[in-house]
Formats: sequence, C-alpha cells, structure tokens
Amino acid sequence: MARASQQMTRGAYAFWVMVFFVFVFGVVAALYYATRKVDYVWRWYRVPQYFLYKEKAEVRSEIQGRVQDVVRNGDNVLIRVQGDGQTAQYTVPAKDIRVDAGETVYPGDVLGVFVRWKVGILMQGLWLTLKVSLISILLGIVIGLIAGLARISSNPAFKWSAVTYVEIVRGSPLLVQIFIWYFVLGTVINTLLAKNGMAQLPPIWYGVASLAFFCGAYVAEIVRAGIQSIHRGQMEAARSLGMSYPQAMRHVILPQALRRILPPLAGQFISLIKDSSLLGIIAIRELTKATREVVTTSLQPFELWFMCALLYLVLTFGLSMFVQYLERRTAVS
Amino acid sequence: MITVDKVSKTFHAPHEVKALQNVSCQVAKGEVVVIIGPSGSGKSTLLRCLNRLEHADTGHIYIDGVDILDRKTNINKVRAEVGMVFQSFNLFPHKTVLENVTLAQMVVRKRSPKDARDKAMALLEKVGIPDKAAVYPDRLSGGQQQRVAIARALAMDPKVMLFDEPTSALDPEMIGEVLDVMKALAREGMTMVVVTHEMGFAREVADRVIFMDQGCIVEEGTPEHFFTNPTHNRTKLFLSQIL
Repeated sequence: MARASQQMTRGAYAFWVMVFFVFVFGVVAALYYATRKVDYVWRWYRVPQYFLYKEKAEVRSEIQGRVQDVVRNGDNVLIRVQGDGQTAQYTVPAKDIRVDAGETVYPGDVLGVFVRWKVGILMQGLWLTLKVSLISILLGIVIGLIAGLARISSNPAFKWSAVTYVEIVRGSPLLVQIFIWYFVLGTVINTLLAKNGMAQLPPIWYGVASLAFFCGAYVAEIVRAGIQSIHRGQMEAARSLGMSYPQAMRHVILPQALRRILPPLAGQFISLIKDSSLLGIIAIRELTKATREVVTTSLQPFELWFMCALLYLVLTFGLSMFVQYLERRTAVS
Repeated sequence: MITVDKVSKTFHAPHEVKALQNVSCQVAKGEVVVIIGPSGSGKSTLLRCLNRLEHADTGHIYIDGVDILDRKTNINKVRAEVGMVFQSFNLFPHKTVLENVTLAQMVVRKRSPKDARDKAMALLEKVGIPDKAAVYPDRLSGGQQQRVAIARALAMDPKVMLFDEPTSALDPEMIGEVLDVMKALAREGMTMVVVTHEMGFAREVADRVIFMDQGCIVEEGTPEHFFTNPTHNRTKLFLSQIL
C-alpha cells in the first residue's frame, strides 16, 4: 500500500534499507566512541550476576561439642553434633564436608560449604514490576468498565461521579497521585488500622491502588468511546426483542465494543507498565528502583540503564503481542 | 390489538419538530395496516412509539389491553410480544445468523439452547435461508439479512409485527424476496403494521391504508378506496407524485 503511492525500484529499495542499517550502526558506534573518549569501561560481563548468581553458603555449628557421626544420605550428609546435654543435626550437601566424626567443634565452626543459585536484584525488580502491572491492569479494567458504564448512564449520580473521577485523575500528575495515595491515604488508613489493632498495609498496596485508579480513568474513557461507537440501531434491535438494558449491554453492545477498544486499551496498558517505574519513590523495589540500587553499588550505569530499558521493552512488547493475538481471535471471520 | 389514543410527540433536538399531533388509530387482531406518507410525516415515529423506542409525550397507547406508557408497565415484556424489523436490519454482526435468531429466545424467553435452535432453524427454513445458519451477517446480501431480521423477530412468537421501511435500504432486485416473506406472514393472519413506500405491497396485502402528513393522519381506508378514490387533496397530490 505504502509503495503504491511512492513508486520505487527494487534496487532503490534495497539501497535505502542499507542506509537504515548504516544509520543505526553509525549511531551505536558514535555512542561507543564517545563513551571511550570519557574513559568509560564497558563491562557487560558484570550484568548477568544481577539476574542470577551463585552464592557460597556455609553451614556452621551452633553449639560446642563432638561430631558424633557423619552419615551419607543420597547427595546430602547428615552431621550430628553431641554437646553438653544437647545435640544438633545439620544437613549439608555432600560435596564439601569440612569435619570428620570425632572432631571437636565450637560455635561458628564451618561444618560444610556449598554453592547455590540465587535470584538477583534485577530479576526480583522485573518480577515485581510485572506483578504490580498485571494486578493494576486487571483492577484498572474493572474500575474502568464500571466508570465507563456510569459515564454513559442517564442517572446523574452515576454520571457525575464518573465524570468527576475521570477529570480529577486525568488532570493531575501520576507522581502526585502516588504521593497522595501513600503519604495521605496511606497514613490515614494505616493509623486507623493500628488503632484497631490490625496489621499495616505494605506500600505495594498503595502503589497498586494508585496505578489501578489512574489506569481506570483512561480505560473508562476508552470504554465510553467504544460503546458510543456501536451504532444505536444495535441497542434498539436488542431492546425491541425484549432485552433489558443490562442484557443488551452484556450480549450485544459490550462484545462488539470490546473488539474495537482492544488497540487503545493495549496502548494504555503499555503506558501503565512504564508508569510503574514511578513506584520506586514509595519504597517499592520495582525494576527502576532495583536498577538504581545496582548502579550505586556496581558503578556500571551505562550497561545497567540500557539493560533496564531493554527489560521494559520486553514487557511492553510481550503485552502488545498478546493483545494482537486477542484481536485476531476475536475478529469475526 | 393496538389502540393509539390522541398521541403527540415533539422532538426538541436539534430543532423543534412536532412529529405526531393528536394521532389516534386502531389496529385489529389479524389486520395488516400500511402507513404511507412523505418523509418527515411522522409515520416512523408513530411506529416506534408502538414499542416505546420513542416515548410519546401525551396520549395513550394500548397493546393487547396493556397501557405501554404507564410507568408500572414492564416494557420489556411488551416488547417481547411486539416484533420489530428495521430499515437497516440491525443484525448483531458478532453473532452468526443462527445465534442472531436464538439469542433473545434464550435471554428473554429463557428457552433451552436446543429449543431455541429448533425454533430458529424452523424460522430460517420459513424465510428461505436455512443454509446460511452458520455464517456471519456480513456475508449475506441485504435481502438475506432482512429475512434473518424477520426470523429473529418472529422467534419471540410476537402477537404484532412492526415493519419500519423494511425494503428501503435494499437493492431493487432484493425487494421481492423480503416482500414475499411479509406476504406469507400476512396470509397466516399475523397482525402487522408496515411503514413502506411499496405501493404494490400496500394495494395487494393491506387491509387498511393510513396516509400521514406533517404528524397527522390525513386519510385512512381500504386500499381500493385509497388508491382509486382518495378524498383529500394532499393524498391526491402525494399519489400523483409517486405513482
């Protein structure tokens, strides 16, 4: 289609494709050259440890006494220590045992050493970002659907509530809303909970709430536009068959509206994943906060910030692929 | 079956139009009434008032003895008894032909899927397109879509059928197939109110013709009287323009 309006020979097309790749390569090379000029040393090999790393763990005796026996049990070894009127048992992987039966051990002595895989801080941050985003999206859909339906209701209480909610949320910065959720509502709710002897809600709840309500306002407008884009003859046909308004909405209008609103919804959800990077300011260690922490300890900001951006890209790209799959599935033959 | 008593309706937006002014008429059980008139004469509005798609401002409308403008009337119950066919078909595009006909049966009449299906297939047979049951409406011609819409309305076992210019959006070669279905329906004794520009249909099928202009009923009578010997000048003028 695009080429119909702009005729181009095959050779010219191949040439301009080349130009594109040369341009991309040139930008990357220029950036690399510039960083070398400021004596930055790239150490990509240091990055994987923040996803998954080997931790050396030591099993130490907690009591003073004599090692009674060292019993092999498959891949593990059971070490029993007999002290003054007390015994202790330790299970250690068999690879690296540091004591024999009959030896005397003191508290803190190493009985055995083993290596285990641990999930790194970036991986934890990525997982938390994914979790917070998914919960917020699901809550945002529910809130948005309710608010969107209220928005087109003829009942002024519903309609004006929805309009007020949408306008307030869309008209103020998300950062400010997060502060309000955490420092104002959070303080009030947690204090009330404490007064009644109940446990405090962790910051992540307030983070999810702020994102869900923020997302819900935009979803409400998308839902409203989607419903209003369905020809009114559809509602008339459904009602003339004797369906009630809710029945007509559920069976006739919403299924059609949903198909139309999937693309704008996907855009909204992608925004939400990116907006979740703001939650770092209320002590939620999501991907951006995790990256910032790693940068302070590793002093490799260039690699890590690129990696952080790449991880967000993976999440958003995955989501948009999923929505495209849904679109294809819901498309009428 | 239907009694319309001094009904008025004014539209305020975008500008004030007196669509119906003190209209009264009656339709007996089994009667086929055709409403004709120039565009803007209020004939569609009158039809849409009969199942309260438009809410009349004043007056009374009784369907089978039920005052449908009474606030206590459950309008969904009334609408289930009054089938309606639209100019633009309004089939549900996300449902197959079969699902279009079964949906309201299951949702409103609470029929089992099997009963609804049997009924739907019988009706699709009757309107002549049982082979299209599994396809989506956008694969059908206009005439086929309108026949599905008629089957969809009939599936509710209505006591009255309202037709709002059912052939106006069709290509000329498809008008016949829809009119044939409507004629068959009339022969079976269905009570029908039809807004149409098809004078042939009116002449052949109607028991009574109502001519409306500027929100008023100008003249009504049998087709013979109406087409051969109209009383009013406005009727004569209208007939001379279209015939």
